[in-house]
Amino acid sequence: MEHLIVGFRDVLDPLTLMWVTVGVTLGYVLGALPGLGKATGVAVSIPLTFYLQPVAALGLLIGIAKGSAAGSAVSAILLNTPGEPSSAPTALDGYPLARQGKAQKALKMGLYASVIGDFVSTLILILLAAPLARYALLIGPVELCAILFYSLAFIGSLSGASMIKGLIAGALGVFFATVGLETETFIPRMTFGLLELNDGISLVPLAIGMLAVAEMVVQAGNLKTLDRETRAMADGTSREDRTVLASEWRRCLPVIARGTLIGSVVGILPGLGASVGSFLSYGATRRASKTPEKFGTGMIEGIAAAESADNAVVPSSLVPLFALGIPGSVIAAILIAAFVLHGLTPGPLMFKQQPRLVADVYAAMLCASFILLAVGYFGQSVFARIIQVPLRLIIPGVLLLCCIGAYMETSSVFSIYVMLAFALIGFFARKLDFSFVTFLIGFVIGPNLELSFRQSIQILDHQILNLRSHPIAIAFIVLTAVTIWLIGRGRTRKPYRTPERAGTASISAEAEYQPPSTGRNNR
Amino acid sequence: MRRANVISGVVLVLFGLVTVFAIIPWQIDPAPEGFVSPRLLPTLMMGVVIALSALLAFNNRRAGVADDPDAERNPISRSEIMALVKIGAVFTIALGFYLAVSPPAAGAALIVGALLALGERRPLVLVLMPTAFLLVLWAVFYKILGTAIL
Repeated sequence: MEHLIVGFRDVLDPLTLMWVTVGVTLGYVLGALPGLGKATGVAVSIPLTFYLQPVAALGLLIGIAKGSAAGSAVSAILLNTPGEPSSAPTALDGYPLARQGKAQKALKMGLYASVIGDFVSTLILILLAAPLARYALLIGPVELCAILFYSLAFIGSLSGASMIKGLIAGALGVFFATVGLETETFIPRMTFGLLELNDGISLVPLAIGMLAVAEMVVQAGNLKTLDRETRAMADGTSREDRTVLASEWRRCLPVIARGTLIGSVVGILPGLGASVGSFLSYGATRRASKTPEKFGTGMIEGIAAAESADNAVVPSSLVPLFALGIPGSVIAAILIAAFVLHGLTPGPLMFKQQPRLVADVYAAMLCASFILLAVGYFGQSVFARIIQVPLRLIIPGVLLLCCIGAYMETSSVFSIYVMLAFALIGFFARKLDFSFVTFLIGFVIGPNLELSFRQSIQILDHQILNLRSHPIAIAFIVLTAVTIWLIGRGRTRKPYRTPERAGTASISAEAEYQPPSTGRNNR
Repeated sequence: MRRANVISGVVLVLFGLVTVFAIIPWQIDPAPEGFVSPRLLPTLMMGVVIALSALLAFNNRRAGVADDPDAERNPISRSEIMALVKIGAVFTIALGFYLAVSPPAAGAALIVGALLALGERRPLVLVLMPTAFLLVLWAVFYKILGTAIL
């Protein structure tokens, strides 16, 4: 608790607070623009934080992640085009409300639900991560290796429409992580004589290429559709439809509580992602409603359910990252690079080695929730105008920022080549439905996976039967096999369905998993 | 999509085989005595990729196209391919400017090139956007953050 007080003292410094506000505002705008999600925003912004103090830098990035999760509701409500796939359920009732002239009411409920979900989930992160980390410290290399394999298999199985493709993506991610000098023998691996590859492929240009540049190419290919939907935005709101009434609050508060709980649980489980949380919450609210047939026609509870869960996923997805060092989502995978750059290595030891920086991160997250409320409340009308800017004016600027972001990490044009190579891979991965999220997570956990795998081989003395003395590892190996079998069987019974679009969220593909109950038709 | 899956499966199998039998032996030396081979994990991962890619191609080939109206659908539209080619060309030109002229010229070329590739033709926008972007970046890095990035 005393660390948290110190953390608040650090974060409430005016300059730090300003950077958190900049992050939230930037994130809100990025989230509101279709296709420019939180992953893109954070990946592009990491190099901009090189020269900031660690607290300000982490506050800025956390602000972007939180702001964009909330901002994606703006385009979902006004354009029927979710800024991110996880806001697709918001569009189902938000857009009809906007067409009824109640856009302001819908936007406000979206914001309030987002802030409450985000804040409560941050508290859950603070309460859960440290106790879980204490147990994690008891885990040895053999167990860690089994857990990492399980996480990768679980994430790969659930990402995208095909389990096989998800697992291939995960394996490729680990494979690319092996490029560079091997840590035990210092033998170069697949460097092709390039000194720049001795340290391995850098995460920042790789992530920028796969997430941001590839996304921009896809957006450029669908420019006409996106601009047409922007022009068709509903306008005109009457004064009495601009506020959330007390009766609506009474109806929505239990919905927000349920959505926050669902989002937090989904966030803690690696690989599920915000889309699962928001769709599950929307579905649960609809089932619990006395008038389920009215959902999709402009029910404000639909917005509250989707947005509270969507935003609750972001903080709670950091629980496995902080407690075990395992990134459970693409945003967590990218944040690892930022945390390490600024002296905080995610994992159970960080609570012992860097308690003050951890407290700073927690304080920044809590402050970002309040800043999100202020920025969203006062800036909503401005952001609604920004999303009307044609994409052809936005894409060139984003491409330039991508180049600068990739270049800055090494001050070498080689990083831009890496970025472009992975942009090409990311483009085809998106279009052919190979999960680039799983690829990235495989790439991030690759070095840890290899280290623990090598240690396990030595500990087990090359004898697989010696696993008998590691029951936790056996449990996770069995769990991996059972998970793959169960998910594979489920997929076989529910064949792939072609997406029917609601808006153009299908173009943006950060959260690729589609909940079986809703399928792709809601994207 | 099934056709695309078969093609991508076959391409990945070939990539995996070339990696396992040519690239890994060529690019990774054997380990000294007593060490775990540095080839182990890359080979294992490529083994997984080959097996799963073969399964992907086989499953989709076996399923055929008769029962799936979407089987022959190309997942990549013509406009997306065109966008990929155009943006690739813009990056090539910008990198040429970077190597031959200067980084700011490359930045300006990237923005103007991308604007033109995406259909923007207004001269004022083509002049103002790169100017504004480069000025803002200069102000942010050199004045506010106080650091040179080039």
